[in-house]
Amino acid sequence: MANVVIMPKQGQSVESCIISEFKVKVGDTVKAGDILFGYETDKATFEEASQLDGTVLAIFWAEGDEIPVLQNVMVIGQPGESFEEFRPKALSETSGHPRPDKSEGSAAEGSGRGRSEAETVSEGVHFTAVENAGAPVSPRARMLAEQKGVNTAQVAGSGPGGRIIARDVEAAALAQGQLTGLAKARMAEGGVVSPGAGSGLAGAVKGADLKVWKPNHTEGLAGEGSEFQVVKMSNMRKLIAKSMYNSLQNSAQLTHMLGADARKVMALRKKAKKAFEEGRLDVNVTINDFVCYAVIRALGQFPNVNSHCLGDAMRLFKCVNLGLAVDTERGLMVPAVEHADKMDIVSLSRSLKKVADDCKKGSINPDLLSPEAASFTVSNLGGFEVEWFTPIINLPQSGILGVGTIVPRPKMVDGAYQYVPYMALSFTYDHRAIDGGEATRFLKKVAEEIENLEIDL
Amino acid sequence: MPKSLYIDPNEVLRPGEHQIKFPEIPVMQYAKTVKEELKDGHFTPEDLKRIYRDMFVIREFETMLNLVKTTGGYNGVAYSNPGPAHLSAGQEAAAVGMAYNLDTDDFIFGSHRSHGEILAKGLRSIEILPEAELRKLMEEFWGGATLAVAGKDYKGGSTKELGIRFLLYGAMAEIFARTTGFNKGLGGSMHTFFTPFGIYPNNAIVGGSGSIAVGAALFKKVNRKKGIVVANLGDGAMARGPVLEGMTFASMDQFKTLWEGDMKGGLPILISVMDNQYAMGGQTRGETMGYMYPARLGAGFNPEAWHAERVDGYNPLAVIDAFRRKKALLEKKEGPALIDVVTYRYSGHSPSDQSSYRTKEEMDAWQAEDCILGYGRKLVEAGVAAQEELDAIQASVKDVMFEMYKLAIDETLSPRMDLVKDNELLGEMMFSNMSVDTLGEATPEVNHPMAENPRVKQIAGKTRFYLDKDGKPVSSMKMYNFRDGVFEAIVDRFYKDSTLVAYGEENREWGGAFAVYRGLTEALPYHRLFNSPIAEAAIIGTAIGYAMCGGRVIPEIMYCDFLGCCGDEIFNQLPKWQAMSGNILKMPVVVRVSVGSKYGAQHSQDWTSLCTHIPGLKVVFPVTPYDAKGLMNSALQGTDPVIFFESQRLYGVGEQFHEGGVPEGYYEIPLGEPDIKREGKDVTFLTIGATLYRALKAADELKEKYGLEAEVIDARTLVPFNYEKLIASVKKTGRIIIAGDASARGSYLNDLAASITEMCFDYLDAAPVVLGSRNWITPSHELEDAFFPQPSWFLDAIHEKMMPLPGYVPVSNQTCAQQILRAKKGI
Repeated sequence: MANVVIMPKQGQSVESCIISEFKVKVGDTVKAGDILFGYETDKATFEEASQLDGTVLAIFWAEGDEIPVLQNVMVIGQPGESFEEFRPKALSETSGHPRPDKSEGSAAEGSGRGRSEAETVSEGVHFTAVENAGAPVSPRARMLAEQKGVNTAQVAGSGPGGRIIARDVEAAALAQGQLTGLAKARMAEGGVVSPGAGSGLAGAVKGADLKVWKPNHTEGLAGEGSEFQVVKMSNMRKLIAKSMYNSLQNSAQLTHMLGADARKVMALRKKAKKAFEEGRLDVNVTINDFVCYAVIRALGQFPNVNSHCLGDAMRLFKCVNLGLAVDTERGLMVPAVEHADKMDIVSLSRSLKKVADDCKKGSINPDLLSPEAASFTVSNLGGFEVEWFTPIINLPQSGILGVGTIVPRPKMVDGAYQYVPYMALSFTYDHRAIDGGEATRFLKKVAEEIENLEIDL
Repeated sequence: MPKSLYIDPNEVLRPGEHQIKFPEIPVMQYAKTVKEELKDGHFTPEDLKRIYRDMFVIREFETMLNLVKTTGGYNGVAYSNPGPAHLSAGQEAAAVGMAYNLDTDDFIFGSHRSHGEILAKGLRSIEILPEAELRKLMEEFWGGATLAVAGKDYKGGSTKELGIRFLLYGAMAEIFARTTGFNKGLGGSMHTFFTPFGIYPNNAIVGGSGSIAVGAALFKKVNRKKGIVVANLGDGAMARGPVLEGMTFASMDQFKTLWEGDMKGGLPILISVMDNQYAMGGQTRGETMGYMYPARLGAGFNPEAWHAERVDGYNPLAVIDAFRRKKALLEKKEGPALIDVVTYRYSGHSPSDQSSYRTKEEMDAWQAEDCILGYGRKLVEAGVAAQEELDAIQASVKDVMFEMYKLAIDETLSPRMDLVKDNELLGEMMFSNMSVDTLGEATPEVNHPMAENPRVKQIAGKTRFYLDKDGKPVSSMKMYNFRDGVFEAIVDRFYKDSTLVAYGEENREWGGAFAVYRGLTEALPYHRLFNSPIAEAAIIGTAIGYAMCGGRVIPEIMYCDFLGCCGDEIFNQLPKWQAMSGNILKMPVVVRVSVGSKYGAQHSQDWTSLCTHIPGLKVVFPVTPYDAKGLMNSALQGTDPVIFFESQRLYGVGEQFHEGGVPEGYYEIPLGEPDIKREGKDVTFLTIGATLYRALKAADELKEKYGLEAEVIDARTLVPFNYEKLIASVKKTGRIIIAGDASARGSYLNDLAASITEMCFDYLDAAPVVLGSRNWITPSHELEDAFFPQPSWFLDAIHEKMMPLPGYVPVSNQTCAQQILRAKKGI
């Protein structure tokens, strides 16, 4: 019997994945272990290997399609075996479904006898992207609109008193074409309009195909202008945008800035580098690792900072799950190192390196990317010579520490000024959770920890 | 109109006698003394003392209730009884005298004021029943629950004494709405009864028993059951239609002229008028009636004047004497008979009645003549008992009464139904829902084997589908039609169930006004199929009595419009008795009702909605031959009252839907299942009755002109009704029109619409639309199209209220604006 390959569920928080690449095509012979396709979540990429030998009988999706997890992707079996029964339902409905342009044409020419369902419902209904918010909508039309991803504000009602009735939504659905799950969700949110046919399988309209919709302004915000080019955001970009925006909209953030004498940490770094080069250490412990180590120690004394602010309650952590901002090609990622307070400097360094590498490779466990996974985050821009900045909290965390570059600053040493390397620390905190005094004391504590690090390497 | 009865103009125009001679109706002729009665051997001294005891039991029972109602307790033990109490203190001699000659096989029916009668009849049954039988009967009743409480503290060994406790407790618990009561507390004071003692329902509708009791007598006669039936009615009830119609029915000549063999002879029915002088606040003699004595009524009904007689109801021996003689008459099939018993009620109509319509002087005068006091004096004078002995009887009755009272008001021993906790308990009691082939044990009496019946032979030659093998329409003469479907189910049951009888105003030779019964006359003897007087209240009332005694019956109401003539029977009696009896009684009555058209305002109304409104009735309205036969079979197989509507528009239609036509054999269509007559996806038409065929025409037009497919569903049954199919259809189509020929306002169509709205709200593309007839009189046939829903109305409604049809021009005005305007005017 033919075997179906489904879209795996990568972590609890993942609802759908995008096929990045099919490595096989229909008719190919595959062996167990062969890679079938690559796919990605918003923040990671994965590959799916074949579990068995056989021939690719069917592939139900196209590259770039967003596919709900656990949905059937392809079928592997022996040539001649049936596979239609595995075809995802939404797609079976699509197959053979008349395209909107065709049905509208024939409806206009119809004599009124023996017409198909599609023609019947479209008759007398002129789907246009009209502003119609507030028009009465029949319960059935409302339900259909939700199912088919039709925004009733864009539908003209043909029922009694201008009521939007089922046939109006059906016609609109037909006109906007088959939508992917993502596209439906976008349509429901409003502000976009379907082009009718998209770049997905069998002309399915994908999220990316949707056009920005403005009532009575249905043409072209997307595309080329003489002075600009409109480029769509990537999914990941949109996700970051959403969470950053949410963070600033939904919390009370401010930043304290403080310099820490970096002589000790630089000396430690020197020692560590030497040990690594001489092979006494298998990991190259970086300044950031030392800073993180110091932050973890400080957090142990400030439970209010090592926390999530839940609006009307605080989630105080008994351990430190440290989030680390990682810059990747696809954008910013913040993986968590769990139970970082239980680690010595070497295992901490190793763990931080691993999550950063996983992010860059795209193989990070998506659950570790959830903002809920970390209790506090460190973002280090020191390597880019940024001195001070105002990092944005990854809600619901209560704070984030921005680590800047090290610059020499005058300091009174033994009665005379001399230049001493200082590390710039920028601590953004949620004033809902933490008051200024406590924030200052915490930041000072971090500086002290950095200044007084005593580690045997 | 039997041909055997020749109406000879010579005799009719030139009769031998030129005046009507009435027989003499005796008034108060009993004059015997106690000693004379003893000498004649009618009584032993013990009998006479027991009569005294029985009378006092009633007096104390009513005294107890009166004290509870007026002082909130009895013997210092408080209890509140908010329910009714129509007391009969003062009428004890009449009740005990009535019951004295009755066996357990003799049935009594009563009124709202019948505590005395049930106690008297109960005490009589306890006296005459063999002890083992009495004990068994009590032990088996409600699984022994009633006896367990009644006999809880009884240490004596006498089954009869235990029986008295059982009777008093069962009646009290019933009045106080306890589950241990005779009818689980569902009957109450005005309906308390106990069939094992031959006590049949008392009736809270004045005169209600007047026709029901006659039906019970019919049952006894037709099914050759032992015993007579007594209807205890008040003097006020003699004004009521059901009584007069019941008397008319019981007086029919045919019992003596046309019924054959051992069936020849009068019904064993005895009307006992408890003439307590008052009807509510009206005084029957001298004020609200003109008969002077109720006994006079007998003279109006038959040449024997019902063997009527007026007797002294303040002397139990006078009453006993009269009942003894009348019972003998009935047993000789010389009934019916009527006894007018003079009595007087001490209390008002009810405890709230302050007797403002009578003087204290009058009441004192009657109390001085008190029947218990007076009878006691006679016993002492005759040396039957010393006063001390009578006092001792009273004391012992009071003790038992008090004991039973305390048990009956005990919330733990005598609980009420918990309808809050067990929300469906009473609902489950509304119908008996049994499936029974035959209710009788005898071989059904028929005149010939069914195959020899001329109608059966004729139907055998018919095509059972509306098209022949080649798909051509069958001519109406050769086509199996609706009336054949009804006939086949009924004739089949007549050959299965010996108890089945059918009657109506033209049921025999005519074969029913619409020829459904043609052929039955040949098949059945008179006593199973006969013409009734034009007396709808009696037709339905007697059917109720017939059914509650254990028989199956098909009464016919020729036009739906006549349902009003038997309104009380259809609305108050037929639907109520199964639940009011605590499910002891069954009500296998299938009322055939023909819905007319063409005949104007009083012959063309669809009143199905009136019947659906009344809890306890099943309501069926088939419109195809297949459904008619299958549903009639189910109705006749069941034990519940079914109002079986038939449309006069459709008696001639053939079967257009059921593949293969109407099966020849027996089959049942369960009540409650609507049927999809045509599938569709764009709109649902749910129809009641003959509107189906107009809905189909609308569906055709919708398809042809607008490409829309209607799903047409025939409700078939209105109560019960399974919504599941309908919900599935509406989920599919999103639109529904509910249509029927009943006037729209207040019709069941609106019920269906409201329910569908609730059940399918999220699936609806438009509110359900109701298409009923206009709220007018039904105009003459030529104008009917403006009154009954037409095919165009369906399209109009779709266009105006659901989805405008391109280019459509409405015919009728189905807009909401018009609806508002009409409602404002009340039309």
